[in-house]
Amino acid sequence: MSAATTLRPPSRSPGRTAHAMAGRTKRTPRRVRGTTIPRGARKAVALSLLPGLVLFGTFFLVPFLVLVATAFARWGGLDFAWAGLDNYRRMLEDPVFFKALGNTLFYAAASVLIQVPLGVAVGMVLALRPRGWKALRTIIFVPFVISGAAYAVIFSMFYNPRSGLLNNVLGALGMPGDRDWLFDTATARWAVTGTFVFIIGFVVVLVMAEIASIPNELYEAASVDGASTRQQLTRITLPLLRNVIGTAILIRLLVDIGMFDLVFILTAGGPDDATATLALYAYRAYLGGEWGYANAVGSVIILIGLVLIVTVRRVFRIGERTL
Amino acid sequence: MSKPGTMIAATASAAALLAAVTGCGSDPYTSASGEVVITCATCQESPTDPFLQYNYEAAQRFNEAFEGRYQVETIENPNAGSSDDRLQYYQRLALAGDLPDVFQLNSAEITAMQETGRLHDFAPALEDDEEWAATFHDQAFDALTGPDGQIWAIPQQRDAIGIYYNTAMLEVAGYDEFPSTWDEFEDLAEALKRQGGIAIAMDGDWTTMLMWVNLIGTQPGGPEFLGEGIATMDDWGEDPVVTRATERLRDWHEQSYVNADAFSGDPQNAFAPYLTEEAAMVANGPWFVSTNLTTDAAAPDLYEHTGYAPAPGWTEGDRGTVIVSGAGWVSGTTDERGLEAVDAFVKFMSSEEEVLTQAAATGANPPVRVDPAATEAADLEPLATGLVTEAADLTYRYPHARVHGPAGFSTAWKNLWPAYVQGEMDTDEFLQRLTDDAASSGM
Repeated sequence: MSAATTLRPPSRSPGRTAHAMAGRTKRTPRRVRGTTIPRGARKAVALSLLPGLVLFGTFFLVPFLVLVATAFARWGGLDFAWAGLDNYRRMLEDPVFFKALGNTLFYAAASVLIQVPLGVAVGMVLALRPRGWKALRTIIFVPFVISGAAYAVIFSMFYNPRSGLLNNVLGALGMPGDRDWLFDTATARWAVTGTFVFIIGFVVVLVMAEIASIPNELYEAASVDGASTRQQLTRITLPLLRNVIGTAILIRLLVDIGMFDLVFILTAGGPDDATATLALYAYRAYLGGEWGYANAVGSVIILIGLVLIVTVRRVFRIGERTL
Repeated sequence: MSKPGTMIAATASAAALLAAVTGCGSDPYTSASGEVVITCATCQESPTDPFLQYNYEAAQRFNEAFEGRYQVETIENPNAGSSDDRLQYYQRLALAGDLPDVFQLNSAEITAMQETGRLHDFAPALEDDEEWAATFHDQAFDALTGPDGQIWAIPQQRDAIGIYYNTAMLEVAGYDEFPSTWDEFEDLAEALKRQGGIAIAMDGDWTTMLMWVNLIGTQPGGPEFLGEGIATMDDWGEDPVVTRATERLRDWHEQSYVNADAFSGDPQNAFAPYLTEEAAMVANGPWFVSTNLTTDAAAPDLYEHTGYAPAPGWTEGDRGTVIVSGAGWVSGTTDERGLEAVDAFVKFMSSEEEVLTQAAATGANPPVRVDPAATEAADLEPLATGLVTEAADLTYRYPHARVHGPAGFSTAWKNLWPAYVQGEMDTDEFLQRLTDDAASSGM
């Protein structure tokens, strides 16, 4: 006996699952409150949800509420006083905050404008299964699974002005090979960006999986109508990738607005905050014993995240079926 | 069993389990064999940190020496060594009333931690035991003292921090001895540069700051700034001593006397060029010998042709050196029996035998006066002990900026120094921002 059958109250109208299974009625099932769980099973359902709710409350809801509440306080661990909007006012007066905000948005934009289009393009090409596509897919995906810290260490060696590969190659090509890429204010932000915008493995895999789910009949019909491969890619594949492209953009944005480890290891936010991110800025405040201020910065990161989620979901109509 | 019966049994079992897990009902200071047990948060084994490893071995010796009376129990602590998070870690424990019985902090951390009101004051114990108190060097407690005469820590070491130099490279550049003035130092740097070498290796953090401190400390008024002004002035740029030193250090970068990768804050960027004989000099403490100079990372025979010198002076005969007391032992216990064990532990750690063992293991010099014969018999590292002896006759002795400076000094320096050297800001702006950012503890 299926769970749906078990949980369905025998004397009332069938729930959505039963309708879907039966597939015989034309009437849209009406959702009636409290009717989907039989009385006898409610306690069991509640109990089974309890561990999840406790974990959610302990590790997400409570910290989140503490963060939001203490963002309005002067709190350094040792002392606590409500401060109203002081933390936010101070943030608006601090040029370092705006530098960190600008850098964070810059990193996020670089991801969206370089990483996603590049990942989609490579994913579409690999989906055509050219010779060696499996090996290529693996090679492209490997950087994605390397830890951010290890990646940062590798790149700090790559950029080292004295012994790094980059300057040595430039020097061998007769170009100036003595620039300190990570600690020169003119190049630091670009050097940091260069370390992550080409990690496209995640987007490639998402795109390839989505392409694999597109019905073959569409391509066959297009082919019969005389559509070229390029036309099939641009008129069928690309539009049908809308959902997954939106998802990839959203994930990249959410990862990048919280960027910390890469920058912390590469430059610690310097020189002169040229590479600092909001997360790093909040961390410094925390180290300085200004926990309330750090949480105010944290709440700004959350707010930006929420705005991005809503915007990207709307623009890409994520979740809406295409076919 | 009935339902209520089951509930009662389950509750009782859970309570018993919880009590067993939390140790509720037992005395945390007494072991099963009746010893007073104290916890140490900086006594864990460490294959990489010679100070932690020494602490671990010393704690084992203490346990043997005081078997049946006191016992040190080691707490595994990711923040045991020096780290940016260490102060926050102990502040959190202080808030929870759960500080370890003994652990180590540096002077800046002690200054911040005294505000928690949870540190034990060792002043009464030192007053009660004058003989023990008299063993310490003069000013050994200067950086560990509270505003009302409290003594928050028992010093672990008293080191002179000098400049390591490659005697062979200096000879090739035409110098038989280490320069005695900064002008001579720059002449040497120029000569080394002409030969294609790096004059002095830096990292944008510890080693760079050491040279900044040396340039400040070897001027009249410099030690006073490093001892007090650095903590009280609103703008360090108002002190011409600081301005002169800052600009001279910046000029060394512009003149390419310093390695090109001198801004990352990674100490290896300073150590590696010296160890591979690309750089002729590097500033660091005596522990550099055991942690780097005598390891496989160093060029063969580098130790044999390495000298260790105090900083040159701005004028002839006015040399100086950094003197640090390093980390000190502090205590967070309030239990009387725990304090008895803590007193026994810190006395054990500052005994002549232990400080000599520590010196042999780490290169750190004793914070207490030691019989010269015992010192000689202990066969201590000659480079380090030589500088300590020489330091007594120098014109200037001064603390490191990280000792009396604000807690955020290091973070602010690492962030601003590269931009200043690249000409992104002038000296006045750099020093004003350094003062402000250091005071706001890392912001």
